[in-house]
Amino acid sequence: MKLTWRWLQEHVTTTLTAREAADRLTMAGFEVESLTDMGRSLAGVRTGVLESVIPHPQADRLTVCQVKMGAERLEIVCGARNHRSGDVVAVALPGSQLANGLTIAVTTIRGQRSAGMLCSLQELGLAESAEGVLILPPGTEDDRPLATVLGYDDELFEINVTPNRGDCLGVRGIARELAAVSAGHLMPLTVDLACSSQAGPINVKLGEDSACYRYAGRIVSGVSVAPSPTWLIRRLEAVGLRAINNVVDATNYVMIELGQPLHAFDLAKIQGSIVVRGATDGERLTALNGVEYPLTSTMSVIADDRGPLALAGIMGGADSAVEGNTVDLFLESAWFEPVAIAKTGRKLGLNSDSRYRFERGTDPDGVRTALDRVTQLVLQLAGGTAGGLVWAERPLPQPPLPIPFRPQRVNRLGGLNIPVAEMVAHLTALGCHYRSEFGQVTPPSWRHDLRCEEDLVEEVIRLHGYDHVPVVMPEAVMVASAVDAMSQLIGSLRRLLVANGYLETVNYVFVSPDEQRRFTPEQPAVALLNPLSEEQSLLRTSLIPGLVATAVRNLKRGNTPLRLFEQGRVFLPNGQGGVNERERLAGLLCGAMQQRSWYAPERLADFFDIKGDAMALLSALAIDAVDFQVGGPSCLHPGRRAVCEVGWMGQLHPSLQTELDIDHPLFLFEFDCQQFIERQQSGCDQKRPPISPFPSVSRDLALVLPETVPAQAVIDVIQQQRQPLIRHIDLFDVYVGAAVAAGHKSLGVALVMQSDDHTLTEQECQGTIDAVVQSLQQGLGATLRGPSR
Amino acid sequence: MLEQLLELQERTLVAVAEARSGEQLERVRVACLGRKGELTQILRGLGALAPEERKRAGELSNQARERLQSAMEERLLVLNRAALAEQIAREQLDVTLPGRARPRGGVHPVARALDEIGAIFQGMGFTTASGPEVESDWYNFEALNLPPNHPAREMQDTFYLPATATGERLLLRTHTSPVQIHVMEQQPPPLRVIAPGRVFRCDSDLTHTPMFHQVEGFMVDERVHFGHLKGVLAAFLRHFFARELPVRFRPSFFPFTEPSAEVDMGCLFCQGEGCRVCKGSGWLEVLGCGMIHPAVLAHVGIDRERYAGFAFGMGVERLAMLKYGIGDLRNFFDNDVRFLRRYGASR
Repeated sequence: MKLTWRWLQEHVTTTLTAREAADRLTMAGFEVESLTDMGRSLAGVRTGVLESVIPHPQADRLTVCQVKMGAERLEIVCGARNHRSGDVVAVALPGSQLANGLTIAVTTIRGQRSAGMLCSLQELGLAESAEGVLILPPGTEDDRPLATVLGYDDELFEINVTPNRGDCLGVRGIARELAAVSAGHLMPLTVDLACSSQAGPINVKLGEDSACYRYAGRIVSGVSVAPSPTWLIRRLEAVGLRAINNVVDATNYVMIELGQPLHAFDLAKIQGSIVVRGATDGERLTALNGVEYPLTSTMSVIADDRGPLALAGIMGGADSAVEGNTVDLFLESAWFEPVAIAKTGRKLGLNSDSRYRFERGTDPDGVRTALDRVTQLVLQLAGGTAGGLVWAERPLPQPPLPIPFRPQRVNRLGGLNIPVAEMVAHLTALGCHYRSEFGQVTPPSWRHDLRCEEDLVEEVIRLHGYDHVPVVMPEAVMVASAVDAMSQLIGSLRRLLVANGYLETVNYVFVSPDEQRRFTPEQPAVALLNPLSEEQSLLRTSLIPGLVATAVRNLKRGNTPLRLFEQGRVFLPNGQGGVNERERLAGLLCGAMQQRSWYAPERLADFFDIKGDAMALLSALAIDAVDFQVGGPSCLHPGRRAVCEVGWMGQLHPSLQTELDIDHPLFLFEFDCQQFIERQQSGCDQKRPPISPFPSVSRDLALVLPETVPAQAVIDVIQQQRQPLIRHIDLFDVYVGAAVAAGHKSLGVALVMQSDDHTLTEQECQGTIDAVVQSLQQGLGATLRGPSR
Repeated sequence: MLEQLLELQERTLVAVAEARSGEQLERVRVACLGRKGELTQILRGLGALAPEERKRAGELSNQARERLQSAMEERLLVLNRAALAEQIAREQLDVTLPGRARPRGGVHPVARALDEIGAIFQGMGFTTASGPEVESDWYNFEALNLPPNHPAREMQDTFYLPATATGERLLLRTHTSPVQIHVMEQQPPPLRVIAPGRVFRCDSDLTHTPMFHQVEGFMVDERVHFGHLKGVLAAFLRHFFARELPVRFRPSFFPFTEPSAEVDMGCLFCQGEGCRVCKGSGWLEVLGCGMIHPAVLAHVGIDRERYAGFAFGMGVERLAMLKYGIGDLRNFFDNDVRFLRRYGASR
């Protein structure tokens, strides 16, 4: 909501400055987002009369002007050609700065002193382009600030009016608030109108299916449609409206002033009587913006005998608009039900100042006043004769009801101690009526937002001043609450990964159909009904697309190496149209895991980096018995991927790496956090054996096996033996080369043995090793290269 | 005998002094004092002497042994010191070479801010709750006193999902306030809860991203009032920004609170003088809050005559930008590792 300070002062007398008034409004809940001096670009520019204009003695295209400004005479060199002796012009004095940034100074131009500058509208920042200097109307007084002469000596308020306060979408409403916070006195709104007391010759009917509950109309005949006077144009332009003609401008002016949207029809284009009714399906209307809208029965129209003239409460129709040749008008002021207007506007995607106000609620008792005010203004601007009032009404859908009000409730909710008399004074200032005998408050007709006791509580505290509410800490009973397993797990995951050098990323939950096809083609995804773009039209079913996109973006900027992770939710369709949200964790590695350095050469990331980090995570979280198998999603390298119950890890598929145009392979893991929780050993019910006080013995085996036997098979065979002394199996070496037969490899395996009740003997150890070696020979065809220790 | 003893002593003392290592010294010791050493031999020969002479010779040889032993110990100390000095000289490193690099990880700046916010409220006895990101119209709007067609719904551009099989309208939550409803449905007062989380609005420009983070907080108890809300939020801002800045509560409107307020904090960058960040006002809008609307309490069956509550909501990215001096909102979701390292935290 924009309005000017002078406009506001026509409705409220105050001793405050505009800045002070802005601060008071802000603290009353009407945040003044900006307060600007409309004439700031005209500071230092004053009017002057050209007493003489003679050619510059040294330059053909220049003139030397004698300018009279009050008692002073200035000599100014000017390059324009449209100025004559006797003209009143705009003079920028030395020291002033023009809108284009030019600072005026006394200069000498071709040997001629020049003490200022005659300005054009363009130079003043008031027009896009201009021919010559600005010539003001003859008779304009000299030595006056140009801002005053042109009507820019005003200040513009831009106020953020909250959606519940439709009553403050007009100058009058803001004036009332200023008065209510004791910052001034509200002046009475007087409308002197000479008009016929006879009801007008036009008939108005309100249909039961329409959104209209009050309708006031009036004929004004014999008007002259013309441009509006400057003062009116300035005000409309200041608040962001385009001036059209004196009639349309008058309706807009009164809308800004009183907050009541108004409309003027060309009477000649109305046939028969007016009815406000629900549109019939299939009806169409071309609105003032030139767009033709298809109408449905939930929308209301103002219609005549032939059909719709206007889209009720939103926009007039092009066919009945006031134009230059219009002579007779039909002025309209009405009250429409807010929800119906909101629905219609949203359905048609049509915004207007009228819709904005009606859907936020206008004053049903202000309909008549606004009509009178606009009639008066039209008569003043365009002449003509006003006819009698045309009136129609239906009982309001939500008539204002008294609200129960207990003064002590204000003090309890506010932590305050306001006397009842002060509360009543505040409510009265807002137009509310308090009846102590019933404990009730009746709000004024314009305050449809006041519905319950708490609404009144807010009004009282607001006018009392939020600043006066004490700042105190609550006293409360201590409550112990269970720690949520998921948030605890997520905290641990983040700490562990950060300690391992990973950077956390946060990626959008939106993915493109392309990404979905690339990374999770097996998984259906939920599509948004109203995405911002195709690129962001699906909800992710995996964290990988976002993480990979982030990696690619970083790699293109030369940011390497990368250790990234994300923790967040994915959205899986549940088959019934609903969505399952799952907490996931994903990680990514790329580039040099060992940077080139004085102690070691560069080493690039490989599968075992991501596996090592993943396993460290699982072991730190005490996730039980996770069994990785060969396999995993199709976005991974088929020979370098592993999958288990809680998730998977592997290298990005080479074909995707080529598609993404990146030099180094990406290594990824993704785990399901819920699965973690289900497998996590819980804190206190474990019966773990005590740590053995006896020394452990480690023996190394060098096993020769066919190359195709996976390492895990060796470990599985050993574990299946359930040797009671074996505590750990460490795989510490893999060798392929001349020292073993072709098609074979050598694995170095360390067996760590220990007993809980005695120090092991050599025979016990050897017995265990013999049994292990025998089972490996039988199970996997392994042979011993001989203990390598 | 005596000459022999003296000669041995002198000779051994010279050998001790000339020993260049512990091993050499040990050899000298063995040759002299060992089981088959020369002094030992001499001592064995004492039995053959007359008692008188034996006594004298015994004293002298004991003196010689002690003298030699202490000379050897001294020499050993000297040799050890020298060996240590030599070892140290040999092991000298250029300690100005860089250490073996360890990658530095870090949490995202949003997570850092969430951690900091959470810690302050946990200190005030608030517990943490979470809720779904895909919500129903009821939880996101209606239960929060935002009926269909309410103009305030247009303050929050909503992403919608296809309706479920039962015809329920799903959406991405536009704020974390629905968690209020979930918690109040499940737990009776007294309640002190914060609910951090991701929220979504279909809006994208310089100052809006379609996804961002909020922290919702609320307290419901007997005798809770607006002054408590001011106390808790003023304390929060003081601790979060670690500064004593003016805080003002300004009337505003939210459908789910009545009375409602916006909270402004004195501008961090200009100390209230007016600058680009605060748009010249000297104030920064940091929070929205209010007393929980009676319609919201009614929806979850809390008796508004017995209990009252306050609620607040804050934008995490905005607070992080102000606290850490981040200029561009879009950086948060661009995830440039240089940005993450600079503004994230490694704790």
